[in-house]
Amino acid sequence: MKDFNYIQPDSLSQAGKYLSNRNNDAVILSGGTDLLSLIKENIYTNENVVNLKTIPNLNNIKYKKGEGLTIGALTKISDVAESKIIKEKFTVLAEAAKEIASLQLRNMGTVGGNICQRPRCWYYREDFDCIKKGGGECFAYQGENKYHCIIGGGPCYIVHPSDLAVALTALDAKVKLFFDDSSRIIPIHEFFILPEDDYLFENILRDGEIVTEIIIPDLPDGAKSSYIKIKERETWDFAVVSAAAVISKKGSNIKSGKIAYGGVAPIPWTEEIINKSLKNLNADKNEIEKISKIILADAEPLEKNKYKVILAKNLVKRILTNLVLDA
Amino acid sequence: MKIKFTLNKKKVTAEVESTERLIDLLRNKFQLMGTKEGCSIGECGACTILMDGKAVNSCLVLAEQIEGAEIITIEGIADGEQLHPIQENFIKAGAIQCGFCTPGMVVSSYELLNENPEPNEEEIKEAIAGNLCRCTGYKQIIDAVKISAEQLRDSK
Amino acid sequence: MSRKIIKSKYDLYEEKIETIAEVPSEKEKPLAPNSKLKYVGKDVNRYDGYDKVSGSAIYTIDKVLPNMVFARVMVSPHPHAKIKSIDVSKALKLKGVLHIITNENTSEIPWYYNTSKLFDKHLRYQGDEVACVAAETEKIAEEALSLIKVEYEIMPHVVTAESAMKENAPKIHNNGNFGRPSEYTRGNFDEGIKQADVTIEDTFTTQVEVHNPTEVHCSVVNWDGGKLTVWDSTQSIFSVRDNVAQSLGLNASDVRVVKKYMGGGFGSKLEAGKYTVMAALLAKKIGRPVKAAMNRREMNLSVGNRPDSNQTITIGTKKDGTFTAMSHIAYGVMGAYPSGSSSYWPLRSIYKCPNIKIDNKSIYINAGRARPFRAPGHVQGTFALESIIDDLALKLGMDPIELRLKNYTEVDQDGDVPYTSKLLKEAYEKGAEEIGWKNRNKIPGSQTGEIKTGIGMASQIWWGGGAPPSYATLKLNSDGSAKIFSGTQDIGTGTYTFMQQIAADVLEIPIDKVNVDLGDTGTMPYSGGSGGSMTAPSVSPAVYDAAIQMKQKLISNAAAILEVDESNLIYSSGNISSKNDSSKSIEIKDVVGKIHERVLVTTGARNENPNGYAINSFGAQFAKVEVDTMTGIVRVKKIVAAHDIGRVLNRKTLENQFYGGVIMGLGYALMENRVIDDYTGKVLTTNLHDYKMPTMQDMPDIKVIIVSEEDNLISPTGVKGIGEPAMIPTPGAIANAVFNAIGVRIKSLPITPDKILEALNSKS
Repeated sequence: MKDFNYIQPDSLSQAGKYLSNRNNDAVILSGGTDLLSLIKENIYTNENVVNLKTIPNLNNIKYKKGEGLTIGALTKISDVAESKIIKEKFTVLAEAAKEIASLQLRNMGTVGGNICQRPRCWYYREDFDCIKKGGGECFAYQGENKYHCIIGGGPCYIVHPSDLAVALTALDAKVKLFFDDSSRIIPIHEFFILPEDDYLFENILRDGEIVTEIIIPDLPDGAKSSYIKIKERETWDFAVVSAAAVISKKGSNIKSGKIAYGGVAPIPWTEEIINKSLKNLNADKNEIEKISKIILADAEPLEKNKYKVILAKNLVKRILTNLVLDA
Repeated sequence: MKIKFTLNKKKVTAEVESTERLIDLLRNKFQLMGTKEGCSIGECGACTILMDGKAVNSCLVLAEQIEGAEIITIEGIADGEQLHPIQENFIKAGAIQCGFCTPGMVVSSYELLNENPEPNEEEIKEAIAGNLCRCTGYKQIIDAVKISAEQLRDSK
Repeated sequence: MSRKIIKSKYDLYEEKIETIAEVPSEKEKPLAPNSKLKYVGKDVNRYDGYDKVSGSAIYTIDKVLPNMVFARVMVSPHPHAKIKSIDVSKALKLKGVLHIITNENTSEIPWYYNTSKLFDKHLRYQGDEVACVAAETEKIAEEALSLIKVEYEIMPHVVTAESAMKENAPKIHNNGNFGRPSEYTRGNFDEGIKQADVTIEDTFTTQVEVHNPTEVHCSVVNWDGGKLTVWDSTQSIFSVRDNVAQSLGLNASDVRVVKKYMGGGFGSKLEAGKYTVMAALLAKKIGRPVKAAMNRREMNLSVGNRPDSNQTITIGTKKDGTFTAMSHIAYGVMGAYPSGSSSYWPLRSIYKCPNIKIDNKSIYINAGRARPFRAPGHVQGTFALESIIDDLALKLGMDPIELRLKNYTEVDQDGDVPYTSKLLKEAYEKGAEEIGWKNRNKIPGSQTGEIKTGIGMASQIWWGGGAPPSYATLKLNSDGSAKIFSGTQDIGTGTYTFMQQIAADVLEIPIDKVNVDLGDTGTMPYSGGSGGSMTAPSVSPAVYDAAIQMKQKLISNAAAILEVDESNLIYSSGNISSKNDSSKSIEIKDVVGKIHERVLVTTGARNENPNGYAINSFGAQFAKVEVDTMTGIVRVKKIVAAHDIGRVLNRKTLENQFYGGVIMGLGYALMENRVIDDYTGKVLTTNLHDYKMPTMQDMPDIKVIIVSEEDNLISPTGVKGIGEPAMIPTPGAIANAVFNAIGVRIKSLPITPDKILEALNSKS
């Protein structure tokens, strides 16, 4: 592991000051579960590592009826998975949290770190001078692309690895960001960016900008949500494809709903056309079948990942059936 | 940098470097060799220890991060020579083969039973699935945790 | 007891092994049946349990010597290249770096059967060794690697068998990309096919599997004058001793290899590593002990794997299912250096068939060399064979087990000799009953609903009967305790424990009075490597023989002490007494105490194998699976492993190995896969989430049924090995169960969701 300086700020503003100074060549350490691997593999070689863990008040889960849920960025993933209010009210998020890696990593990893984690593309993680690392090409495009994206790709074809991000997208979450000495709040779909906009990064965070909080609007009473993740082994695996859905019902009809998919695109993916078609839908078996057939209509799978299209359609069918029909 | 923390119930101090990992501190400075390194990036669980009561991979914790923390390693599970019931039951259930993953397995089991004294089989699997074993096929490890849960409940 | 010297002969694949061995001259009275014994066959706790659960067990990676330094190896980043120049000057200037060795400052040490060298300028895979640094700390050694400047001449690479077999393919060795072929003929295949009413032919493929034991490959070396001690994470201390001695030009007796605990090997740790010899060279130069350890990435590149396979099988049968001809045409990659990739043995040996044609090719590619991996060839060969047999059964309208029974053989198909024992029929019966064979889908794939269940099975044959030479020394102390020494090694499988059990039962003393020390070439009598399911069947008769001799020695000494004729003495529960005069009695500890050495020593030997018999283990595994047709996920619900493995020595360690073998087979069937990028020739799966091994949550219910008892035609302990049999049939059984569930045959491993979904999609 390359040497680095370990910086421990006492406050957010101190951290912000330090991080916003471009001369500092610094990177943020939160849970460290991804960062230390990246440093170990020489993908990150920053001179300074700034530990946020000592900053107070970034580690809490708060819920207020009507207003919603806020989760501090340093909240452990295991705390999200076990939170009573999240399990009951924002089930999709607890289920997504529980699907992450292993208990040891959930005990260390944080919510902020999870949505900011770097891709698991094996060309990125291995010894390849790939486009994501500033090199000339995406080796996956014509290479071993079984786990890569089927939509939204080019010039880099990663999938976003975060489970929480998919659930948060279905929940219409917002992300609170801190830079230097000020904060801004942006919708999560604006937080993540496609490689066509910037292939070096997966989100809009500027150098030194810190995710401090996740804000989730309250769900109407009776809203239901769920997360299904397909992986090749049961533990410690990233999604081949995953689906998150949040549904509010009125009688037997869906009042409104939102579906997001993981493992299909370089960002958590959601399709407005599908979300709109859920509105006031008389959701019977036929309608669900119809919707599952039209999702990811623009998918352009690579040579080895055509199965992901079938899988995504089937998952949407299953998640809607579970939430709407089997309820 | 000098850090202070509690190691297996004793207060200790150590001089650490910025890039030093907790696993290196435990193995090299404190010579606690029960914590094993299998993959170095949190994918095998052989280096599992308890940090403030939670199971974590000590290969992914920087030594400086444990300032003030309470650390328990496999060496801190037994009471001197007297094995903890979980350790005894690993032997009784035949839950060991080459033994390299065993310390991590025991530590993960210990955390589970502290937090959930009556785990069902699914909960056991979920809690310990971050510990890879290439030899035993896991079945007897689950048995060992089940027997331990019963025994620890009865002794309360 | 008299001894004789024999030439011990046995077959290992095509190799005819011959070694000189001392064996008991006469057949010994066998160990009593388990029902009459106190320890053997019982649920005895493992001898090494305390050390392993307490964290006090010291593995090679934990070994620390005073003044020890660390070595790290620099490996080629390219799949195929030549070293034009190496510049270590900058690295040598780094504070704490002690010495660096490369091809420029070491003598040529032949490696890989003389096809390469310790440091070869011609680098044939990503992971081939370039340099080795010794430094005060591992971190400094690691940093020094990044400061070594190497100029490479990049050469074109090939990383698949298909491309390496092409005429114009880049050559990895001067004589091309083909290794030693495996060809075999029995009868006349073409004639056999003419006699067939029904013929079936299909092609199956399997992937490269990596051993990935949890403890990395590592050694600690220390020179004491001209003598070298090596602590090594190894399955074969004597092989490492001989390899290291030969490489360094030392007498074997000047190299001592020690191994107490090791964190798994599965075949990857049967030979000395280059790192061991490099560490010895560095230690010699620096004059300090050196530890050399690989990291997980290198484990996935360099220290062995199960070769892949492309197997085309043809079977001709009569209408009633009788096989008339079988052929197995295959190829597989053995990596950059000589190894083997054949997969035909199950087809050649398990069923009765007069006409056989075999042609297996082993291909060089620019990737890490294959090594033996838990039942080499058999796991992949059994998957293909047992898959096509199920397809054939369907074609013939027969029950798959009925078809197997139709071609059951009571004699070894190669040598035309009977087996010492074969209880495969019993395994079929008991396994079928336990899994509920009757409930399988009569028409595969016929269930409705999204989640379909299926039941399948596969059979297994392996050797694992053990052989001489294998020795064990037994010491009896004047406090009544015993100690066993043997140059075998316990790789976690329970060798310590069964040796303790056998000695305690023969001497009729409490088991905690028996201690065992294994794994030291310097102080212990020879025993072979722990591979091939050979350890228990080789070592258990040796310790039995030592204990029997000890008993006799005690009786002889007691006769002199008590002044009673030996024939009038009775040995019972550690006591020797006169039949006629109850006042004449002595405890064995007092016997030892009365003789002037105050210790009695015997050395036992493994017996000669019987002439005119084949020794094989047999078994069948049955799998019940659930296939989610929406997601392609296969969940294995239950595996029944019914096996004929001779005597059970210890139920706990036996089950332990079976569960582990089944899980390893499940990983191979469903997820494990080394992936290489064809364009760059680099490995993509060097960590433990890209290279997926099963976790606790992937584990099915497993039931182990042993259908055999002691086979005393083999040896007085009547044991067959279990390490490999446990894994051989698992992937085949799972594949057949998947077929039974969905009605579509997946012909390539691993059976991952993409393959299932695409197969179901193209079917509908």
